[in-house]
Amino acid sequence: MILEVDAVSKRFGALTALNRVGFAVDEGQIFSVIGPNGAGKSTLFNVVSGLFAPDAGRVRFRGVDITGLPPERVNRLGLAKTFQITNIFPEISVLDNVRVAAQSRTPESGRLVSLWRRPDVDGVACALLETFGLGARRDAHARDLSHGEQRYLEICVALATDPRLLLLDEPTAGMTPGETRDATALVRKVVLERGLTLLLIEHDMSVVMGISDRVAVLHFGEKIAEGTPEAIRSDPRVIEAYLGGGDD
Amino acid sequence: MSVLGWRALLVFALLAALPLVPGMSRYYLLLAFDALLFGAIAMSLDLLMGYTGLVSFGHAAFYGLGAYATAILMERGVQSVWACVGFAALVVSYFATARRGIYFALLTLIFAEVVYTFFRYTQTFGGSDGIQGLPDATVLPGLVIDTPTRKYYLVLAYLLIAYAICRVVVASHFGRVLVAIRENEDRARFLGYNVPRYKMGACMISALLTGVGGAIYPMRSAFATPDLMLWTESGEFIISVMIGGLGTLVGPIIGGAFFTILRDKVSSIVDWYFIVIGGVLIVIVLFMPRGLLGLRRIFSRRAAA
Repeated sequence: MILEVDAVSKRFGALTALNRVGFAVDEGQIFSVIGPNGAGKSTLFNVVSGLFAPDAGRVRFRGVDITGLPPERVNRLGLAKTFQITNIFPEISVLDNVRVAAQSRTPESGRLVSLWRRPDVDGVACALLETFGLGARRDAHARDLSHGEQRYLEICVALATDPRLLLLDEPTAGMTPGETRDATALVRKVVLERGLTLLLIEHDMSVVMGISDRVAVLHFGEKIAEGTPEAIRSDPRVIEAYLGGGDD
Repeated sequence: MSVLGWRALLVFALLAALPLVPGMSRYYLLLAFDALLFGAIAMSLDLLMGYTGLVSFGHAAFYGLGAYATAILMERGVQSVWACVGFAALVVSYFATARRGIYFALLTLIFAEVVYTFFRYTQTFGGSDGIQGLPDATVLPGLVIDTPTRKYYLVLAYLLIAYAICRVVVASHFGRVLVAIRENEDRARFLGYNVPRYKMGACMISALLTGVGGAIYPMRSAFATPDLMLWTESGEFIISVMIGGLGTLVGPIIGGAFFTILRDKVSSIVDWYFIVIGGVLIVIVLFMPRGLLGLRRIFSRRAAA
């Protein structure tokens, strides 16, 4: 078990964004969290990745209690995430975006020598960009990439920190159905090749069903179902809450 | 020397030849001193403004603390440049780190105003007169910084070292993280970087270089006064960085030198020189958003076309 979320609650004022949500992700699994907009999916990610401390409950990652640790500490333990709204370094080159992420794991990082030494991470960075088809765009400013390319760059940046667990928050948001299919296949391939565990938030059911080993469904901050994609697809509560809910 | 590149070395060689120019007067050498000192400090501030994306309205405090460090030692008979610079570095790093809790306050006017008020309104270090009539500094026994030419070489050496340090830092692992923080602070945290530590480090280096610049100033002027820490001085550093071009290092050096020379020339003609400088700044911000160094791009684009 690589990640264990145990009865996590998070309130914002009167709004209960998460109410005793719990699940466990096994090493090497592709685990998806789905739910309509506003179900609390991004809040869940923000709690797991350290942006918010939960009001109640614990989060354990690789056996370490990470509840309330700040994002930089959680990341150093081997958890990287992408954001629902593209979150990259806009005014520097595509390659520099990935370099700054990759050098975070070099021996220089956080030590005094980092003031005068520049670790060579170009091999790792370029290989990642090639994987996501951005090799030819490496010298472009990140802001000049297309939306789809920026989504890929964001995944590259997260992967460059060499995580064990990758959290992707709606990676295909804003993509066309064709792009979504390609992106999903590519992500699945990379995750399998690197032996990563993937925790995926999706709002598009078709993405999830194709690649997930296990799916949890959030609705108004509560987990209403968890199981294999087949079981989820036929679960009446899910159909009622999600598919029949008029979303999309 | 690969750090500097041949173009930078050429420029430094030309600057080193400046005192050899026929007819170079004492007045112009000291103006050149001021220009290079101001440029070096603007460059130090650029580490914060241009690379890390933090604006410091209190840099004059570090400058003034450095100047007072030298003045206090010289008043007590210590004339060694090394001792003065070392003492200034200690004083400035104490104020830049000792209280982590007020770290963000350091970047504000308030810190600078407190330091200014202390030096201006208490008699501890001479009040509004500051410390005057200092002797000449010595680099080595027998090598006294007494002529304008030697003073000029002192500031040139400081600029060369400060520039080399800045170049190495911005190209390093650390420098890359600073740029990432400027671009997107939150994302940098999610890559495992302890952002406040990096900001603090940038503030430290910038303050230290500024403090050492301040330490050199009394070696030229023979005094340190509270006016060196006035908020307008901090404003002039910021203006110099903007005139020259943020995030370029070389730009702010040019900006600082340009500002110093412009101020000197305009103020010798009219009293209200600030209106003229303000006008120049507005023109630069409107038409050259990348500063004076941004002109380089325009020319190189024309050459390419």
